[in-house]
Amino acid sequence: MKSGFFRFAIAALVLAAPLAAQEHTPTAPAAQVQGAEKTEGAASAEPTDIITPHITDGKHLELPSLNPSHGFAKEVTLPSGWPSFDIPLPIIGPFHVDTSPTKLIVMLWVVAALLVVVLVSAARAHTQRAAQGLPPKGLAGAIEAMVLYIRNEVILPNVGHHGEAFVPYLLTIFFFILTANLLGLIPYMATATGNIAVTGMLAIMTFVVIEVAGMRALGKGYINTIIFWPHDMPLAMRLPMSLIMSPVEIISKFTKPFALAIRLFANMTAGHIVVLAMVGLIFTFQSYVAAPAPVAMAVAIMLLELLVAFVQAFIFTLLSSVFIGLVRESHH
Amino acid sequence: MRSFLFRALTLVAVTALPAFASEAEAPKGGLLSPAGGLMFWTLVVFAVLFFVLSKFAFKPILAAVEEREQSLRDAMEQAKADRELAATLLAEQKAALEAARNDAQKIIVDGRATAEKMRADLLEHTRVQQADMLERAKRDIEAEKHNAIAELRREAVDLAIAGAGKVIEKNLDDASNRALVDKYLSAIGTK
Repeated sequence: MKSGFFRFAIAALVLAAPLAAQEHTPTAPAAQVQGAEKTEGAASAEPTDIITPHITDGKHLELPSLNPSHGFAKEVTLPSGWPSFDIPLPIIGPFHVDTSPTKLIVMLWVVAALLVVVLVSAARAHTQRAAQGLPPKGLAGAIEAMVLYIRNEVILPNVGHHGEAFVPYLLTIFFFILTANLLGLIPYMATATGNIAVTGMLAIMTFVVIEVAGMRALGKGYINTIIFWPHDMPLAMRLPMSLIMSPVEIISKFTKPFALAIRLFANMTAGHIVVLAMVGLIFTFQSYVAAPAPVAMAVAIMLLELLVAFVQAFIFTLLSSVFIGLVRESHH
Repeated sequence: MRSFLFRALTLVAVTALPAFASEAEAPKGGLLSPAGGLMFWTLVVFAVLFFVLSKFAFKPILAAVEEREQSLRDAMEQAKADRELAATLLAEQKAALEAARNDAQKIIVDGRATAEKMRADLLEHTRVQQADMLERAKRDIEAEKHNAIAELRREAVDLAIAGAGKVIEKNLDDASNRALVDKYLSAIGTK
Protein backbone atom coordinates (compact mmCIF):
# COMPACT_ATOMS: atom_id res chain seq x y z
CA MET A 1 0.00 0.00 0.00
CA LYS A 2 2.64 2.41 1.11
CA SER A 3 5.10 1.59 -1.65
CA GLY A 4 2.26 1.93 -4.14
CA PHE A 5 1.71 5.51 -3.09
CA PHE A 6 5.42 6.06 -3.06
CA ARG A 7 5.80 4.89 -6.66
CA PHE A 8 2.80 6.86 -7.77
CA ALA A 9 4.15 10.03 -6.21
CA ILE A 10 7.56 9.57 -7.78
CA ALA A 11 5.90 8.89 -11.09
CA ALA A 12 3.83 12.05 -10.77
CA LEU A 13 6.86 14.14 -10.01
CA VAL A 14 9.05 12.53 -12.62
CA LEU A 15 6.41 12.73 -15.31
CA ALA A 16 6.37 16.47 -14.98
CA ALA A 17 10.05 16.73 -15.75
CA PRO A 18 10.21 15.85 -19.45
CA LEU A 19 7.37 18.29 -20.17
CA ALA A 20 9.69 21.17 -19.65
CA ALA A 21 12.60 19.55 -21.42
CA GLN A 22 10.72 18.23 -24.45
CA GLU A 23 9.51 21.61 -25.64
CA HIS A 24 12.84 22.21 -27.17
CA THR A 25 11.89 25.13 -29.34
CA PRO A 26 14.90 27.34 -29.78
CA THR A 27 13.80 30.58 -28.23
CA ALA A 28 15.94 33.53 -27.42
CA PRO A 29 18.21 32.84 -24.46
CA ALA A 30 16.58 35.31 -22.10
CA ALA A 31 18.29 34.46 -18.87
CA GLN A 32 21.73 34.71 -20.35
CA VAL A 33 23.96 37.44 -19.15
CA GLN A 34 27.61 37.96 -19.55
CA GLY A 35 29.76 35.93 -17.25
CA ALA A 36 30.95 37.87 -14.27
CA GLU A 37 34.51 36.65 -14.35
CA LYS A 38 34.96 37.00 -18.10
CA THR A 39 34.00 40.67 -18.38
CA GLU A 40 36.88 41.65 -16.17
CA GLY A 41 39.16 42.57 -19.02
CA ALA A 42 37.82 42.17 -22.52
CA ALA A 43 34.35 43.00 -23.74
CA SER A 44 34.74 40.41 -26.47
CA ALA A 45 33.75 37.57 -24.17
CA GLU A 46 30.79 35.42 -25.16
CA PRO A 47 27.69 35.92 -23.02
CA THR A 48 27.79 33.15 -20.45
CA ASP A 49 24.91 31.86 -18.41
CA ILE A 50 25.76 32.37 -14.75
CA ILE A 51 22.25 31.89 -13.45
CA THR A 52 21.49 28.33 -14.43
CA PRO A 53 24.66 26.79 -12.98
CA HIS A 54 23.95 28.66 -9.78
CA ILE A 55 20.40 27.46 -9.32
CA THR A 56 20.91 23.92 -10.58
CA ASP A 57 22.92 21.07 -9.18
CA GLY A 58 26.48 20.44 -10.31
CA LYS A 59 29.62 18.45 -9.69
CA HIS A 60 31.65 21.45 -8.54
CA LEU A 61 31.91 23.18 -5.21
CA GLU A 62 32.86 26.84 -5.18
CA LEU A 63 35.06 27.60 -2.21
CA PRO A 64 36.12 31.10 -1.16
CA SER A 65 39.41 32.16 -2.71
CA LEU A 66 41.48 35.33 -2.83
CA ASN A 67 42.41 34.78 -6.46
CA PRO A 68 40.40 37.27 -8.57
CA SER A 69 41.10 35.50 -11.86
CA HIS A 70 38.43 32.91 -11.13
CA GLY A 71 35.91 35.27 -9.58
CA PHE A 72 37.34 34.85 -6.09
CA ALA A 73 36.28 31.22 -6.15
CA LYS A 74 38.17 27.99 -6.17
CA GLU A 75 36.39 25.19 -7.91
CA VAL A 76 36.56 21.75 -6.37
CA THR A 77 35.33 18.82 -8.39
CA LEU A 78 33.38 16.33 -6.36
CA PRO A 79 34.14 12.61 -6.62
CA SER A 80 32.15 10.40 -8.93
CA GLY A 81 31.68 6.68 -9.14
CA TRP A 82 29.90 6.09 -5.88
CA PRO A 83 27.40 3.22 -5.96
CA SER A 84 24.48 3.75 -8.29
CA PHE A 85 21.39 1.67 -8.90
CA ASP A 86 18.17 1.74 -10.83
CA ILE A 87 14.72 1.70 -9.25
CA PRO A 88 12.30 0.01 -11.66
CA LEU A 89 9.28 2.23 -11.91
CA PRO A 90 6.11 1.33 -13.76
CA ILE A 91 5.14 3.34 -16.87
CA ILE A 92 8.19 5.59 -16.89
CA GLY A 93 10.80 2.88 -16.67
CA PRO A 94 13.89 2.64 -14.49
CA PHE A 95 14.76 5.59 -12.25
CA HIS A 96 18.50 6.05 -12.02
CA VAL A 97 19.97 6.83 -8.60
CA ASP A 98 23.63 7.87 -8.42
CA THR A 99 24.78 8.31 -4.83
CA SER A 100 27.98 10.19 -5.68
CA PRO A 101 27.99 13.67 -4.15
CA THR A 102 26.95 16.79 -6.00
CA LYS A 103 26.91 20.43 -4.91
CA LEU A 104 23.43 20.17 -3.39
CA ILE A 105 24.14 16.83 -1.74
CA VAL A 106 27.08 18.47 0.02
CA MET A 107 24.73 21.31 0.97
CA LEU A 108 22.33 18.76 2.47
CA TRP A 109 25.16 17.40 4.60
CA VAL A 110 26.13 20.92 5.67
CA VAL A 111 22.52 21.70 6.57
CA ALA A 112 22.19 18.50 8.58
CA ALA A 113 25.53 19.00 10.37
CA LEU A 114 24.73 22.60 11.22
CA LEU A 115 21.29 21.68 12.48
CA VAL A 116 22.59 18.86 14.62
CA VAL A 117 25.32 21.04 16.14
CA VAL A 118 23.07 24.03 16.81
CA LEU A 119 19.96 22.23 17.99
CA VAL A 120 21.68 19.56 20.07
CA SER A 121 23.90 22.13 21.80
CA ALA A 122 20.85 24.31 22.35
CA ALA A 123 19.04 21.33 23.84
CA ARG A 124 22.02 20.63 26.10
CA ALA A 125 22.16 24.23 27.32
CA HIS A 126 18.44 24.00 27.78
CA THR A 127 18.64 20.90 29.94
CA GLN A 128 21.39 22.45 32.06
CA ARG A 129 19.42 25.64 32.64
CA ALA A 130 16.26 23.65 33.31
CA ALA A 131 18.10 21.63 35.98
CA GLN A 132 18.64 24.92 37.82
CA GLY A 133 14.98 25.78 37.35
CA LEU A 134 15.77 28.65 34.98
CA PRO A 135 14.47 29.44 31.52
CA PRO A 136 17.03 29.22 28.70
CA LYS A 137 18.87 32.27 27.43
CA GLY A 138 20.59 33.33 24.24
CA LEU A 139 20.41 31.01 21.26
CA ALA A 140 18.76 28.22 23.24
CA GLY A 141 16.00 30.66 24.16
CA ALA A 142 15.50 31.63 20.54
CA ILE A 143 15.41 27.98 19.49
CA GLU A 144 12.91 27.27 22.24
CA ALA A 145 10.74 30.17 21.15
CA MET A 146 10.68 28.82 17.59
CA VAL A 147 10.09 25.24 18.66
CA LEU A 148 7.28 26.26 20.99
CA TYR A 149 5.68 28.58 18.46
CA ILE A 150 5.69 25.93 15.75
CA ARG A 151 4.44 23.31 18.17
CA ASN A 152 1.74 25.30 19.97
CA GLU A 153 0.52 27.63 17.25
CA VAL A 154 1.04 25.63 14.07
CA ILE A 155 1.20 21.89 14.67
CA LEU A 156 -1.07 21.13 17.61
CA PRO A 157 -4.09 23.27 16.60
CA ASN A 158 -4.05 21.98 13.03
CA VAL A 159 -3.20 18.31 13.51
CA GLY A 160 -5.92 17.94 16.13
CA HIS A 161 -6.21 15.51 19.00
CA HIS A 162 -3.08 13.53 19.92
CA GLY A 163 -1.01 15.73 17.64
CA GLU A 164 2.08 15.25 19.83
CA ALA A 165 3.21 12.28 17.73
CA PHE A 166 3.67 14.49 14.67
CA VAL A 167 5.61 17.24 16.43
CA PRO A 168 9.15 15.84 15.90
CA TYR A 169 8.60 15.16 12.19
CA LEU A 170 7.08 18.56 11.46
CA LEU A 171 9.68 20.38 13.56
CA THR A 172 12.42 18.61 11.65
CA ILE A 173 10.76 19.61 8.37
CA PHE A 174 10.59 23.22 9.53
CA PHE A 175 14.18 23.49 10.71
CA PHE A 176 15.53 21.54 7.73
CA ILE A 177 13.80 23.77 5.19
CA LEU A 178 14.58 26.95 7.12
CA THR A 179 18.29 26.12 7.39
CA ALA A 180 18.54 25.07 3.75
CA ASN A 181 16.77 28.28 2.68
CA LEU A 182 19.01 30.48 4.82
CA LEU A 183 22.26 28.76 3.84
CA GLY A 184 21.29 29.28 0.21
CA LEU A 185 21.47 33.03 0.77
CA ILE A 186 25.12 32.88 1.82
CA PRO A 187 27.64 33.44 -0.99
CA TYR A 188 29.50 30.32 -2.22
CA MET A 189 26.63 28.17 -1.00
CA ALA A 190 23.65 26.74 -2.85
CA THR A 191 19.98 26.38 -2.03
CA ALA A 192 19.14 22.73 -1.58
CA THR A 193 15.44 23.57 -1.28
CA GLY A 194 15.63 25.29 -4.67
CA ASN A 195 15.79 21.91 -6.35
CA ILE A 196 12.76 19.85 -7.29
CA ALA A 197 14.42 16.60 -6.19
CA VAL A 198 14.85 17.85 -2.63
CA THR A 199 11.43 19.46 -2.31
CA GLY A 200 9.86 16.51 -4.13
CA MET A 201 11.40 14.06 -1.67
CA LEU A 202 10.21 16.19 1.25
CA ALA A 203 6.74 16.25 -0.28
CA ILE A 204 6.79 12.47 -0.78
CA MET A 205 7.76 11.97 2.86
CA THR A 206 4.99 14.31 3.95
CA PHE A 207 2.60 12.45 1.65
CA VAL A 208 3.52 9.16 3.33
CA VAL A 209 3.12 10.73 6.78
CA ILE A 210 -0.27 12.17 5.82
CA GLU A 211 -1.59 8.88 4.46
CA VAL A 212 -0.20 6.76 7.32
CA ALA A 213 -1.74 9.24 9.77
CA GLY A 214 -5.04 8.84 7.93
CA MET A 215 -4.83 5.04 8.03
CA ARG A 216 -4.03 5.03 11.73
CA ALA A 217 -6.69 7.56 12.65
CA LEU A 218 -9.52 6.20 10.49
CA GLY A 219 -8.73 2.48 10.35
CA LYS A 220 -11.13 0.84 7.89
CA GLY A 221 -12.73 4.22 7.27
CA TYR A 222 -9.56 5.26 5.46
CA ILE A 223 -10.92 3.63 2.30
CA ASN A 224 -13.60 6.34 2.28
CA THR A 225 -10.94 8.95 1.65
CA ILE A 226 -10.10 7.13 -1.61
CA ILE A 227 -13.49 5.88 -2.78
CA PHE A 228 -16.31 8.35 -2.49
CA TRP A 229 -19.34 6.42 -1.21
CA PRO A 230 -22.02 8.66 0.33
CA HIS A 231 -24.25 6.60 2.63
CA ASP A 232 -27.11 9.07 2.74
CA MET A 233 -27.87 8.90 -0.99
CA PRO A 234 -29.99 6.41 -2.93
CA LEU A 235 -27.94 3.74 -4.67
CA ALA A 236 -28.85 5.04 -8.13
CA MET A 237 -27.19 8.33 -7.21
CA ARG A 238 -24.39 6.83 -5.19
CA LEU A 239 -22.87 4.86 -8.05
CA PRO A 240 -22.39 7.70 -10.55
CA MET A 241 -21.34 10.05 -7.76
CA SER A 242 -18.73 7.54 -6.71
CA LEU A 243 -17.47 7.14 -10.26
CA ILE A 244 -17.10 10.89 -10.66
CA MET A 245 -15.88 11.83 -7.21
CA SER A 246 -13.43 8.99 -6.52
CA PRO A 247 -10.88 10.19 -9.10
CA VAL A 248 -11.24 13.67 -7.65
CA GLU A 249 -10.50 12.30 -4.18
CA ILE A 250 -7.48 10.41 -5.45
CA ILE A 251 -6.12 13.35 -7.42
CA SER A 252 -6.60 15.66 -4.44
CA LYS A 253 -4.39 13.33 -2.41
CA PHE A 254 -1.53 13.90 -4.85
CA THR A 255 -2.07 17.57 -5.61
CA LYS A 256 -1.46 18.53 -1.98
CA PRO A 257 2.14 17.28 -1.70
CA PHE A 258 2.75 18.21 -5.34
CA ALA A 259 1.78 21.79 -4.53
CA LEU A 260 4.05 21.68 -1.47
CA ALA A 261 7.02 20.60 -3.57
CA ILE A 262 6.43 23.07 -6.40
CA ARG A 263 5.73 25.98 -4.05
CA LEU A 264 8.93 25.61 -2.09
CA PHE A 265 11.08 24.88 -5.15
CA ALA A 266 9.66 27.76 -7.19
CA ASN A 267 9.90 30.29 -4.36
CA MET A 268 13.49 29.50 -3.57
CA THR A 269 14.55 29.34 -7.22
CA ALA A 270 12.71 32.51 -8.24
CA GLY A 271 14.38 34.64 -5.60
CA HIS A 272 17.85 33.55 -6.67
CA ILE A 273 17.08 34.09 -10.33
CA VAL A 274 15.86 37.61 -9.61
CA VAL A 275 18.91 38.49 -7.51
CA LEU A 276 21.30 37.13 -10.14
CA ALA A 277 19.39 38.85 -12.93
CA MET A 278 19.69 42.14 -11.07
CA VAL A 279 23.43 41.68 -10.73
CA GLY A 280 23.58 40.55 -14.36
CA LEU A 281 22.09 43.89 -15.43
CA ILE A 282 25.36 45.55 -14.50
CA PHE A 283 27.26 43.36 -16.94
CA THR A 284 24.61 43.69 -19.61
CA PHE A 285 24.94 47.44 -19.53
CA GLN A 286 28.72 47.12 -19.14
CA SER A 287 28.85 50.31 -17.12
CA TYR A 288 29.75 51.17 -13.56
CA VAL A 289 27.21 53.99 -13.71
CA ALA A 290 24.40 51.50 -14.03
CA ALA A 291 25.59 49.57 -10.98
CA PRO A 292 23.92 51.34 -7.99
CA ALA A 293 20.32 50.78 -9.04
CA PRO A 294 20.58 47.01 -9.70
CA VAL A 295 22.68 46.57 -6.56
CA ALA A 296 20.09 48.42 -4.47
CA MET A 297 17.34 46.29 -5.98
CA ALA A 298 19.34 43.11 -5.45
CA VAL A 299 19.85 44.03 -1.78
CA ALA A 300 16.12 44.67 -1.42
CA ILE A 301 15.37 41.30 -3.03
CA MET A 302 17.89 39.62 -0.72
CA LEU A 303 16.10 41.11 2.29
CA LEU A 304 12.85 39.85 0.86
CA GLU A 305 14.50 36.45 0.38
CA LEU A 306 15.37 36.43 4.07
CA LEU A 307 11.68 36.81 4.83
CA VAL A 308 10.74 34.25 2.18
CA ALA A 309 13.17 31.73 3.71
CA PHE A 310 11.21 31.86 6.97
CA VAL A 311 7.82 32.12 5.33
CA GLN A 312 8.33 29.11 3.07
CA ALA A 313 9.59 26.91 5.90
CA PHE A 314 6.60 28.05 7.94
CA ILE A 315 4.12 27.44 5.11
CA PHE A 316 5.45 23.97 4.34
CA THR A 317 5.09 23.04 8.03
CA LEU A 318 1.70 24.72 8.37
CA LEU A 319 0.24 23.07 5.27
CA SER A 320 1.65 19.67 6.23
CA SER A 321 -0.05 20.05 9.62
CA VAL A 322 -3.29 21.11 7.97
CA PHE A 323 -3.21 18.16 5.55
CA ILE A 324 -2.50 15.70 8.36
CA GLY A 325 -5.34 17.24 10.37
CA LEU A 326 -7.67 17.09 7.35
CA VAL A 327 -7.17 13.42 6.65
CA ARG A 328 -7.49 12.52 10.33
CA GLU A 329 -10.71 14.48 10.71
CA SER A 330 -12.34 13.37 7.46
CA HIS A 331 -15.51 11.35 8.01
CA HIS A 332 -17.35 10.62 4.82
CA MET B 1 -1.33 32.38 -17.98
CA ARG B 2 -0.42 28.75 -18.12
CA SER B 3 1.25 28.97 -21.47
CA PHE B 4 3.19 31.96 -20.19
CA LEU B 5 4.36 29.92 -17.22
CA PHE B 6 5.36 27.08 -19.51
CA ARG B 7 7.25 29.43 -21.78
CA ALA B 8 9.09 30.89 -18.83
CA LEU B 9 9.97 27.46 -17.49
CA THR B 10 10.97 26.33 -20.95
CA LEU B 11 13.23 29.32 -21.31
CA VAL B 12 14.96 28.47 -18.08
CA ALA B 13 15.19 24.81 -19.02
CA VAL B 14 16.47 25.50 -22.50
CA THR B 15 19.06 27.95 -21.35
CA ALA B 16 20.21 25.34 -18.91
CA LEU B 17 20.88 22.77 -21.58
CA PRO B 18 24.00 24.30 -23.20
CA ALA B 19 25.53 24.78 -19.79
CA PHE B 20 25.06 21.12 -19.03
CA ALA B 21 26.28 20.09 -22.43
CA SER B 22 29.59 21.80 -21.75
CA GLU B 23 29.95 20.00 -18.45
CA ALA B 24 30.37 16.32 -19.08
CA GLU B 25 29.67 15.06 -15.57
CA ALA B 26 26.71 17.35 -14.91
CA PRO B 27 23.39 15.61 -14.38
CA LYS B 28 21.11 15.74 -17.39
CA GLY B 29 17.69 17.33 -17.46
CA GLY B 30 16.10 20.64 -16.71
CA LEU B 31 14.95 22.31 -13.56
CA LEU B 32 11.90 20.13 -13.22
CA SER B 33 13.53 16.72 -13.58
CA PRO B 34 14.46 15.36 -10.18
CA ALA B 35 17.91 13.82 -9.83
CA GLY B 36 17.79 10.38 -8.25
CA GLY B 37 20.95 10.86 -6.22
CA LEU B 38 19.66 14.07 -4.70
CA MET B 39 16.34 12.44 -3.81
CA PHE B 40 18.17 9.51 -2.28
CA TRP B 41 20.40 11.76 -0.21
CA THR B 42 17.48 13.96 0.83
CA LEU B 43 15.74 10.88 2.18
CA VAL B 44 18.85 9.62 3.96
CA VAL B 45 19.89 12.97 5.37
CA PHE B 46 16.37 13.79 6.46
CA ALA B 47 15.85 10.39 8.08
CA VAL B 48 19.11 10.70 10.03
CA LEU B 49 18.30 14.28 10.94
CA PHE B 50 14.81 13.28 12.05
CA PHE B 51 16.08 10.58 14.40
CA VAL B 52 18.98 12.61 15.78
CA LEU B 53 16.96 15.78 16.28
CA SER B 54 13.90 14.16 17.75
CA LYS B 55 16.02 12.16 20.17
CA PHE B 56 18.70 14.67 21.13
CA ALA B 57 17.14 18.06 20.44
CA PHE B 58 13.36 18.26 20.45
CA LYS B 59 12.78 15.69 23.16
CA PRO B 60 15.04 17.36 25.77
CA ILE B 61 13.82 20.85 24.82
CA LEU B 62 10.16 19.89 25.02
CA ALA B 63 10.79 17.88 28.18
CA ALA B 64 12.49 20.87 29.82
CA VAL B 65 9.67 23.14 28.69
CA GLU B 66 7.13 20.65 29.98
CA GLU B 67 8.97 20.47 33.28
CA ARG B 68 9.08 24.23 33.55
CA GLU B 69 5.41 24.52 32.67
CA GLN B 70 4.65 21.85 35.25
CA SER B 71 6.63 23.66 37.91
CA LEU B 72 4.87 26.90 37.00
CA ARG B 73 1.52 25.14 37.21
CA ASP B 74 2.53 23.65 40.56
CA ALA B 75 3.60 27.05 41.84
CA MET B 76 0.31 28.52 40.74
CA GLU B 77 -1.65 25.70 42.37
CA GLN B 78 0.41 26.18 45.51
CA ALA B 79 -0.20 29.90 45.45
CA LYS B 80 -3.91 29.33 45.04
CA ALA B 81 -3.95 26.86 47.92
CA ASP B 82 -1.93 29.29 50.02
CA ARG B 83 -4.32 32.07 49.22
CA GLU B 84 -7.29 29.92 50.15
CA LEU B 85 -5.57 28.91 53.37
CA ALA B 86 -4.80 32.55 54.12
CA ALA B 87 -8.41 33.48 53.46
CA THR B 88 -9.58 30.72 55.78
CA LEU B 89 -7.13 31.81 58.46
CA LEU B 90 -8.18 35.41 58.06
CA ALA B 91 -11.82 34.42 58.43
CA GLU B 92 -10.96 32.42 61.54
CA GLN B 93 -9.00 35.33 62.95
CA LYS B 94 -11.88 37.65 62.24
CA ALA B 95 -14.31 35.28 63.91
CA ALA B 96 -12.01 34.95 66.92
CA LEU B 97 -11.64 38.71 67.13
CA GLU B 98 -15.40 39.13 66.91
CA ALA B 99 -15.89 36.53 69.64
CA ALA B 100 -13.32 38.25 71.82
CA ARG B 101 -15.00 41.58 71.28
CA ASN B 102 -18.36 40.06 72.16
CA ASP B 103 -16.86 38.51 75.28
CA ALA B 104 -15.36 41.82 76.32
CA GLN B 105 -18.66 43.54 75.71
CA LYS B 106 -20.41 40.94 77.78
CA ILE B 107 -17.92 41.23 80.56
CA ILE B 108 -18.30 44.99 80.61
CA VAL B 109 -22.08 44.70 80.63
CA ASP B 110 -21.92 42.07 83.35
CA GLY B 111 -19.56 44.18 85.41
CA ARG B 112 -21.77 47.17 85.03
CA ALA B 113 -24.80 45.12 86.09
CA THR B 114 -22.92 43.68 89.03
CA ALA B 115 -21.78 47.11 90.14
CA GLU B 116 -25.31 48.41 89.78
CA LYS B 117 -26.62 45.54 91.82
CA MET B 118 -23.97 45.98 94.45
CA ARG B 119 -24.73 49.69 94.70
CA ALA B 120 -28.42 48.96 95.01
CA ASP B 121 -27.74 46.32 97.62
CA LEU B 122 -25.51 48.64 99.56
CA LEU B 123 -28.07 51.39 99.36
CA GLU B 124 -30.79 49.06 100.54
CA HIS B 125 -28.63 47.79 103.32
CA THR B 126 -27.86 51.30 104.42
CA ARG B 127 -31.48 52.23 104.32
CA VAL B 128 -32.43 49.21 106.36
CA GLN B 129 -29.72 49.99 108.88
CA GLN B 130 -30.80 53.58 109.02
CA ALA B 131 -34.39 52.58 109.55
CA ASP B 132 -33.25 50.19 112.20
CA MET B 133 -31.30 52.85 114.00
CA LEU B 134 -34.19 55.24 113.68
CA GLU B 135 -36.48 52.62 115.14
CA ARG B 136 -34.15 51.97 118.00
CA ALA B 137 -33.78 55.67 118.68
CA LYS B 138 -37.55 56.00 118.65
CA ARG B 139 -37.84 53.15 121.07
CA ASP B 140 -35.19 54.66 123.30
CA ILE B 141 -36.92 57.98 123.20
CA GLU B 142 -40.23 56.28 124.07
CA ALA B 143 -38.62 54.44 126.93
CA GLU B 144 -36.97 57.61 128.15
CA LYS B 145 -40.29 59.37 127.85
CA HIS B 146 -41.96 56.70 129.99
CA ASN B 147 -39.18 56.95 132.51
CA ALA B 148 -39.46 60.69 132.51
CA ILE B 149 -43.21 60.53 132.94
CA ALA B 150 -42.83 58.04 135.81
CA GLU B 151 -40.16 60.24 137.30
CA LEU B 152 -42.32 63.28 136.80
CA ARG B 153 -45.24 61.48 138.39
CA ARG B 154 -43.18 60.48 141.38
CA GLU B 155 -41.85 64.00 141.58
CA ALA B 156 -45.43 65.30 141.25
CA VAL B 157 -46.53 62.93 144.00
CA ASP B 158 -43.65 64.10 146.13
CA LEU B 159 -44.47 67.73 145.38
CA ALA B 160 -48.09 67.06 145.93
CA ILE B 161 -47.23 65.33 149.18
CA ALA B 162 -44.96 68.19 150.12
CA GLY B 163 -47.67 70.62 149.09
CA ALA B 164 -50.21 68.56 150.89
CA GLY B 165 -47.88 68.41 153.91
CA LYS B 166 -47.83 72.22 153.94
CA VAL B 167 -51.61 72.22 153.59
CA ILE B 168 -51.91 69.56 156.24
CA GLU B 169 -49.68 71.52 158.51
CA LYS B 170 -52.14 74.33 158.30
CA ASN B 171 -55.40 72.34 158.31
CA LEU B 172 -54.40 69.10 159.81
CA ASP B 173 -57.67 68.39 161.18
CA ASP B 174 -59.57 69.30 158.25
CA ALA B 175 -60.64 65.83 157.32
CA SER B 176 -62.73 66.91 154.47
CA ASN B 177 -59.64 68.53 152.82
CA ARG B 178 -57.71 65.38 153.17
CA ALA B 179 -60.48 63.45 151.51
CA LEU B 180 -60.55 65.98 148.74
CA VAL B 181 -56.73 65.63 148.10
CA ASP B 182 -56.83 61.91 148.11
CA LYS B 183 -59.75 61.95 145.76
CA TYR B 184 -57.79 64.21 143.47
CA LEU B 185 -54.60 62.19 143.67
CA SER B 186 -56.40 58.97 142.90
CA ALA B 187 -57.98 60.72 139.97
CA ILE B 188 -54.44 61.52 138.68
CA GLY B 189 -53.20 58.01 139.39
CA THR B 190 -55.82 56.42 137.25
CA LYS B 191 -55.09 58.71 134.42
